[in-house]
Order: sequence, then structure tokens, then C-alpha cells
Amino acid sequence: MAKSSEESPARRTFMMVVIGLISTVIGIALAVPILGEVLSPLFKKRDIVWTKLSAVSDLEKISPLTPKFIPVYFKVKEGWSINTLPRQVIVVKDITGDLHFFSNQCTHLGCPLHWIPARQKFMCPCHGGMFNVLGEVVGGPPPRPLYEWIHKIDKGSVFIQNKFLDNPKERGI
Amino acid sequence: MFKKIQDWFDERIGLTELINEFNGERIPRRGGWAYTFGSLLAFLFTIQVVTGIFLLFYYVPYFPIARNATYFIKHHVMLGNVLLGIHLWGAFTMIFFLLVHMSRVYFSGAYKKPRELQWVVGMVLFSVVVILGLTGYMLIGNENSWWTINVLTNVASHTPVIGGFLRIIIRGGTETSVITMQHIFAVHVWLLPAVVMLFIPIHLFMIRKTGHQGMALEYKNNKLPDDDPNKWIRPDGTVPFFPDQFYKDMIVALGVFAVIYILAVVVGAPVGPMYRPLALNFAPEADWYFLANEELLKYFPGHGLIIFSTFLVPTIGFMILFALPFIDRGHERSPFKRPAATVLGILFLLLLVYLTLIGGEPKAPATV
Ligand code: HEM
Ligand code: FES
Repeated sequence: MAKSSEESPARRTFMMVVIGLISTVIGIALAVPILGEVLSPLFKKRDIVWTKLSAVSDLEKISPLTPKFIPVYFKVKEGWSINTLPRQVIVVKDITGDLHFFSNQCTHLGCPLHWIPARQKFMCPCHGGMFNVLGEVVGGPPPRPLYEWIHKIDKGSVFIQNKFLDNPKERGI
Repeated sequence: MFKKIQDWFDERIGLTELINEFNGERIPRRGGWAYTFGSLLAFLFTIQVVTGIFLLFYYVPYFPIARNATYFIKHHVMLGNVLLGIHLWGAFTMIFFLLVHMSRVYFSGAYKKPRELQWVVGMVLFSVVVILGLTGYMLIGNENSWWTINVLTNVASHTPVIGGFLRIIIRGGTETSVITMQHIFAVHVWLLPAVVMLFIPIHLFMIRKTGHQGMALEYKNNKLPDDDPNKWIRPDGTVPFFPDQFYKDMIVALGVFAVIYILAVVVGAPVGPMYRPLALNFAPEADWYFLANEELLKYFPGHGLIIFSTFLVPTIGFMILFALPFIDRGHERSPFKRPAATVLGILFLLLLVYLTLIGGEPKAPATV
């Protein structure tokens, strides 16, 4: 018959080591798939799509320095389903006639911007961020100018991608 | 008959002894009403679990549907409005009484040696309950839920080093999506309640071990000097938990429950309009207990400072509170004999109220 832990200190140490090892093995065996499950989104490639916004000729008609809000509907794969992401594109024609395609999400923490014509500013209802019509920060906490959607012009139409220019950390959207 | 059943159990598992042991906890006798808040929190948590389980009979955590499922519970399920109302007002009440309970413990110095761990476990409970509130707000699936999810996950993304990953993990991808809702759902109905259910017994077990301190007035007749830690172990007089303290606990529970019930029936839970990512004129609002934090986000402009409002100030503030028993190590318990702690505590509460009051106002007018 094996000695009890009370009879032999060595046996006690041995049993404690075995108990500890078993707990560790079971713990790690469980933690690995759980971590995999939780971290899985980090390893998934984001679904990037092009969506038609409008004909260039229509956009060229808008008056300069007056933002025009145009919704786009990105159809993207998210998890197990294909979903429609409705997003606003703010089209602004500057004085040289170039078009800008801004997102209406505040660059601070993502609230929806309001265009206030009387002040010629975008105002954020959350913490008071302010942007001028060209997307530059003119007040409040936002750390950077408005995000611009990646876009291309193809056969006379503007296409928008569900991704921002110059946004290495993939913030916003 | 009853006696026979009791005897049957006693012969086998000594049930009466067990119950007497549990009920016989000695509670300091002078301040009984001030000690009801802890039990009240346990009671409120039970209410949240029970109402929450039955809300699940109808709720669907899927983004476009969640808000309509909540609407359905409120308007089409018989008495669903009452159930939903109790769950909402119960949550608000719980957060409010967490602050009351913490204040009681703080001003009576009950977190000091040997009761540091009660405070630390309490802080775990506090954080978890606040996150339960925030995730509940997100689960409604209305406009505020949508923007709260976006704003708070963006706040998380400012955590140094891991922030970006954290946001992707929480959202289940780059964008807020159906997976985000599923994650929030799992956290709100399973993960965090399980943590609370684990930590409330730990909290109570520790209080049993050290004995209940109560307030300084329980030790008036004690001749030991105030800075002797042994003084704060034996109150002058005690009563058993059951029925003396439990009786008071029940009266407070009933009073608070009545208020919750009336609010649930009369005011109910606002469901609000469906989320609209395209909104052009919507001003998102945080839940009231988050407004103080929301106010903080209005300061610290620009790229270099954003980390102060999103990470540093809240984290450092929280860590100080968490580690309070290890920072304030004096043995004085009476709020009058530790004026610095008392004044700081009052100032902190006033600051909290002030930030909450102004936090609801947008800093710049949304429409001019
Ligand atoms: C779900 C949340 C909580 C529950 C259910 C709970 C429950 C209780 C109960 C039943 C008591 C004994 C009676 C009383 O003094 O009220 C107590 C005491 C205590 N609680 Fe909590 N509590 C919670 C949260 C907290 C928090 C957030 C803190 C502090 C950060 C805290 C710190 C303490 C301390 C230090 C004591 C000992 C008081 C003494 O010995 O006089 N608790 N708690
Ligand atoms: S989200 Fe716009 S200022 Fe904070």
C-alpha cells in the first residue's frame, strides 16, 4: 500500500506536484481554444467592397464648399451573414473644383456629425468637436481631420470603398 | 409534523445547526439601518437575475431585431412593460446604492486593516455591475445603443499598445456588427453575472471572517486608543443577523422595491427609435451614471492629449479607488478624526454630481 501524505513528506510533495500539473494541463488545454475563439476576429480579413456612390457629372454640379450628404450601402460579409452597412458620404467640392469624400463620423470617438449651415461647420453632438467644411479640426477634442473614404472614378461614376484613407489603425467607420 | 421533518434532516446533515450558524452572525447594534445597503444590493442583484432570465424568453440579440424585440416585450407581451421596467429601474437603483454602500464603507473607514480585501472584492463587484449597466444599455438596439457601442469601443481602442486589438476583439471585427451584439449579449447575460454570483459570496465570507466593523459609534465604550487596530474588532454591543438585522434589511428592501415597481409601472423603460447609422441630426446620450465620464471626454483636445480622457484619468482614478485600503493606512475610523479622508470623500462625491449634471449637456450646441 502506498504511503499517505502524513506518513511521508516526500509523498506529499509528489502528490502536490501531480495535482498542480494536472490542473495546469487541463487549464491550458481549455484556455487555448477559448483564447482562439476570443481572438479569432484579429485573424480574419476584413471584407472590402466597392459601392457606387453617384455619377461624377451629378457631383460636379454641387455648389462649392457646401457639403452634400449621400448615403451608401456597403454589402459586406460579417461573421456568418452578409450585412448592409449604411454609411454617410459627405461630398464637398473645394474652390479648385476637387471633390472630397468625408465620413460623417467624428474622428474623436465616432459620433454622427451635424452640418450647421449658419456657422459653416460640422459639429459633433457628443463632446463638442468642430470641423470646417474641408474637414479640418477647428475646435473640441477630435485628434485629427475628418476621415476620407477611399474612392475611385470608373466609367463616369464615383465608387466608394468601406475603408478610410490614411487610417493605419483602422479607427472610425 | 414539522418537527419530525426537521429532525430527519438534523440527524443526517445537522441542518438546524447550519442555519443557526448562518443566521447568528453578530452585527453591531447601534447603526443597523446604515448596514442594510449591502443586503439591499444582494437583493437587487437577485431581482435583476430573475427579471433578466425571463426577458430572455422574448429577447433576440441580433442587431436589426434587438430593438424590435425589446419593443415587442414592452408593448405586446402581457405585463412585459412591468418586467422590462423592473429590470431597467432595478439596474439604475443598484448603481445608485452601490455608491451609497461605498460611501457608507468609506466614511466609516471600514476598508482598513483587517478588511482591505472586502473593499478590493467590492471594487470588483462595482466595476462588473457598472459594465453590466452599460452592456444592458447597448442590448436595447436603439439609436443610443448603437452610438454607445461605437463610442465606448473607440474609447477602448485608445488603451496603449493593445487598444486597437481590444476594439476588434470586442466588436468581433472592424465594424460594429451582428457579432458585436452577440458578444455584448454573452457578456451581459452570462459572463458578468457569473462573476457577480461568484464574488458576492466571497465578499460575504470575508465579512464573516473578520467580523462586521460598522461605524465608529459602535466602539464608544471601548477604552483602547483609536490607533490600536484591536479596538475595531469588538463592537460594544451586537445583535444576531436573524432576525434583528434581517428585519431591517427586509424593510429597506420592500421600500426600495416599491419605488422600483412604481417607476416600472408609471415611467417604464423607454425603448426609443431603431438605430440609424445614417442619422444626420441625432445627439447620442450616455446613461446617467456614465455622464461624469462623458464630461471628461470633452476636455483634452488633440492627438497628444486624447489618451488622458480616454485612458489615463479614468484608469488612474479607478486604480486609486481600488487600492484605497493600501493608500490610507491610518487606524482612525471616525470621519471626524480623519478630516482629510472625509473632506476628500465629500469633494469627490460633489465632483461626481457636478460632472454628471453638466455631462448631459453637449459642449457646443448641436443646432444653432
Ligand atoms: C453587488 C455589490 C455588493 C454587495 C451585494 C455587497 C454586500 C455587502 C454586505 C451584505 C455587507 C455587510 C452589510 C453592510 O455593511 O452593508 C457588505 C459590507 C462591506 N462591503 Fe459590500 N457589497 C457590494 C459592493 C461593495 C463595494 C462596491 C464595496 C467597496 C468598494 C464594498 C465594500 C464593503 C466593505 C469594506 C464592507 C465591510 C463593512 C464593515 O465591515 O462595516 N462592497 N457588503
Ligand atoms: S465623438 Fe465627436 S467630439 Fe467626441
